[in-house]
Amino acid sequence: MADIRDRIERGFEGLTAFLCRRRWWVVAATLAVAAGLASGMARLTIDTSNEGFLHPDDPTLAQYEEFKNQFGREDMILLAIEPADLFTDATLRKIKALHDELRDNVPHLNDIISLANARNTHGEGDRLVVDDLLAAWPETEAEIAALKDRVLANPLYRDRLVSRDARMTTIVLELDAFSGAGAGGVADALAGFDEPAKPVTRAKLTDAENRAAVETVRAIAAKYEAADFRLYMAGTPSVTEALKRAMQEDMRKFMGLALLTIGLCLLAMFRRIVGVVLPFLVVVLSFVSTMGAMGYMGTPIKLPTVILPSFLLAVSVGAAVHVLAIFFQQLRKEDDRAAAAIHAMGHSGLAIVMTSLTTAVGLGSFATAEVAPIADLGAYASLGVLLSLAYTIILLPPLLAIIPTRPHAAAPEGGGVFERLLDAVADFSTRHARAVVATGVVVIVVFVASAAQLRFSHDVLTWLPHDWPVYQATRKVDRDLRGSVVIEVIVDSGRENGLYDRELLVRLDGLARELEAWSEGDLFVGKATSVADILKEIHQALNENQPEFYRIPENEKLIPQEFLLFENSGSDDLQDVVDSSFSKARFTVKVPWRDTLELVPLLTHIQDRFPEVLGPGVAVTVTGITSLFSRTLYAAIHSAAKSYVIAFGAITLMMILLIGRIRLGLAAMLPNLAPIVIVMGMMWWVGIPLNMFTMLTGSIAIGLAVDDTIHFMHNFRRYFAQTGDVRAAVHSTLHTSGRAMLVTSIVLSVGFYIYLFSAMNNVFQFGLLTGSAIALALLALFLMGPALMVLLNPETAKKETGQ
Amino acid sequence: MTGMRKALLAGLLAALSVQAQALPAAAQTAREIMEKMDARDDGDNAVTNLEMTLIDKQGDTRVRRIVSYTKDKGRDMQRIMFFLEPADVRGTGFLTYDYYSGEKDDDQWLYLPELRKTKRIASSDKSGSFMGSDFSYVDMTRRVLDEWTYRILKEDEVRGAKVWVIEALPRDDTVRDRYGYDKSVIFVRQDIFLGVRAVHWLRDGGKLKYFDMKQVEQIDGIWMGTELDMKTTKGGETLHRTVMRFSNVRYNQALDDELFTVRRLEKGP
Repeated sequence: MADIRDRIERGFEGLTAFLCRRRWWVVAATLAVAAGLASGMARLTIDTSNEGFLHPDDPTLAQYEEFKNQFGREDMILLAIEPADLFTDATLRKIKALHDELRDNVPHLNDIISLANARNTHGEGDRLVVDDLLAAWPETEAEIAALKDRVLANPLYRDRLVSRDARMTTIVLELDAFSGAGAGGVADALAGFDEPAKPVTRAKLTDAENRAAVETVRAIAAKYEAADFRLYMAGTPSVTEALKRAMQEDMRKFMGLALLTIGLCLLAMFRRIVGVVLPFLVVVLSFVSTMGAMGYMGTPIKLPTVILPSFLLAVSVGAAVHVLAIFFQQLRKEDDRAAAAIHAMGHSGLAIVMTSLTTAVGLGSFATAEVAPIADLGAYASLGVLLSLAYTIILLPPLLAIIPTRPHAAAPEGGGVFERLLDAVADFSTRHARAVVATGVVVIVVFVASAAQLRFSHDVLTWLPHDWPVYQATRKVDRDLRGSVVIEVIVDSGRENGLYDRELLVRLDGLARELEAWSEGDLFVGKATSVADILKEIHQALNENQPEFYRIPENEKLIPQEFLLFENSGSDDLQDVVDSSFSKARFTVKVPWRDTLELVPLLTHIQDRFPEVLGPGVAVTVTGITSLFSRTLYAAIHSAAKSYVIAFGAITLMMILLIGRIRLGLAAMLPNLAPIVIVMGMMWWVGIPLNMFTMLTGSIAIGLAVDDTIHFMHNFRRYFAQTGDVRAAVHSTLHTSGRAMLVTSIVLSVGFYIYLFSAMNNVFQFGLLTGSAIALALLALFLMGPALMVLLNPETAKKETGQ
Repeated sequence: MTGMRKALLAGLLAALSVQAQALPAAAQTAREIMEKMDARDDGDNAVTNLEMTLIDKQGDTRVRRIVSYTKDKGRDMQRIMFFLEPADVRGTGFLTYDYYSGEKDDDQWLYLPELRKTKRIASSDKSGSFMGSDFSYVDMTRRVLDEWTYRILKEDEVRGAKVWVIEALPRDDTVRDRYGYDKSVIFVRQDIFLGVRAVHWLRDGGKLKYFDMKQVEQIDGIWMGTELDMKTTKGGETLHRTVMRFSNVRYNQALDDELFTVRRLEKGP
């Protein structure tokens, strides 16, 4: 083994010598390749939609697409209005004006419903009135009072358009399901008589289109906002938009701050500009190349992708720092930059390759994740690590040879704070080897027990600061209008006109009432509606509005005729709740915004209860954003477990292979395992759930912990082979690679702790956990690494004690 | 609420005018063309069978068969129609007094055989769907000339016949609201002043509607479209489509006023 390692080290020296001879060519060629890759960034697209969390071929997504294709979007923008007094002429006029302005100006708007145009089908004596609610403007006090009574008596409005206490009302905006649906020019339009040769394929509304719509609603609402006309904007599109904006802004801001901090730390440690510039150069090149590759491969940027730069920063800085640390050390001995670079690569080249490979494999394990952006992140972070490795090996040495660097006066040996610290650590862990390892194992076991109780979560609303308008609005709408999101159920009778079946309609109606009475914990169903409600409404209207006729007609033959009447009444609302052949019905369940985990019992209840009530022959499909979230959560849990198992398995195997001994390889996994287990245990203690972001912390922690371990093992073996003395080898290891690890870990921990200043809760948690994981990884290694070496090399250890 | 006779022309009525044919096309303004289209003889006292095919996005179709009787009352019009098929709505009938003036709401009565009751329907909304089709009531009615401003966009050909392509813009928001259109572009045949095609820009939802008179026939000396196609599109995709086919068209029948009453409505087809 030592022989092979020697040969590899000579190989690295030879390669580096070659690269340094052709330094200018190498730099130019590398930069050209990087530029070529980076040019792919021009093709990058952004997709932060909720659908984007799942792979395009996920069956849940196909069901959702089918739903949207049939019925349009179910995730509405809700603009709740809380006026001083809802039923006054002035307020109603203001609502109407706001409604009209929104209708005329919001782009990509498919539908808008408010009190101004709510369907108002009712009977007045022998007349059947089919009109918009405010079609005839109430002029007198008495008319307004009558309007109020009618609105509050209408079950279709209650909890939907108006709150039970009549204090709040909503304007509901449905955006287009598909992109580019705006009207083109006249010439385009006039060309539209001929049927397109092939069916138009529709892409969902783009991020930019969603944003334009949400921003316009916000801007218009702001104009109307007043002390006696409070506005609250909720609904999934608003939440998603706020989240996306906050995430991007925060990540950009803190990425900059992290870079600055890391730069300053590097400057303080190396006391040279190159010590900052070169690691950053590697990071930047790896990042733009990786993003370019995403562009070329057509992989869009998604919400979790914002973590990629942080990740590459963490991994790339480490490798570069290891090379630089050795380079500067060597430069003090011989004032020849090329020679120092060759020495540094000979010393660290193999370790860097090994660390990068294990990290790439660890990350690669996420490429199989069922949550699409996590899979992408796994694949591209893995690629980024390998690119970073290539830049470190190929570009760094020639640049070190090119850039004039003077050696600093030698640091007093053993005199610096670091050196004293490293000595103390080495002494402590080698002397108390058994106790240290035993404590480590106990700590791991204790924290595994805590980590096992970790809660999964998918609730993007809680990521937002709780004083943000959209957070407040969602909570208020959830409370006063009993919900801001929906679960959609498709009930398929399997036959044409199946929905003329009275029994089926009665059962649907029964299910709605049953669900509205359902609650579990603080979760409740705000409203449940289906085509049965429209039928009841029209039946009542045809019977002089007598309340006892608000029911499914007894005479089944009347059902198709009442539906025909409704279709002919000028309302196209039926097509929002049934398909054209009356075989499928949409059943909408409104619920408050909750963590998806909390919605799972309700989803399961619906999944079980509907087939039970509706009987065989009726197919039931649960869909909608909520269902997507639930699938995402399930996929996340499943993926996280799978990915971590794969990552640990693969890394353990690589450790054994690299070290060449099973026992040692397994032992080396202890300090790798410790930081992740401890961080997860801590999460449970402080109540941070496992979500899309905190889950990723683990992958960064694995990457860095394994890096530390490999650097340690690599150098330890080298020095141990030279001296045959465990303690001496530990000391030497800590003073060379250990120093670099310490530098890297401090720099990166501080860099990630910067995220603690974020207002976004998930960014805060990400920073806290990642910073801590990095620090813990180093601590675990510094304590357990030397101790394990003592225990696993007992012969020499005894010999040493004997001396 | 609407005119069956107008239904025959589906929205865009044209006027066959012998004198007009003699005039040089270029000398006419858009307004003059629309006036001639409006003044065209579109028949009276008509009995028609109508087959309406509704086609959804998935290509599923539903067919409805209706018999209809129409009678002119000056510029206003009365119509009674009964559903023949599908069987579960047979006998359902609508009686409509359609007033030319946009100011006055139409009168409509409906009769559901299973309910055994006639209801008078009150509605001010004319932009809603006609019998669940892509045609709205306004598409089935003669437009009030003065409510729109016209402009010739170009001349073109439709199925070999020369047409003027005329843009019509609503005069004000009230008109826009009542029709539900931001704009229409109408293709008027130069030889017979018949509107054979049209594109309507819907006020809401960014949708377009395409009207296409696929078959034109002369019956009892009156030009009419016997196959009408209306599709609602969004972003180039057809959301829904309606094909209307007229058969057994007979004009100048002896339809007395007694036919257009609630009593008659309740007796069925």
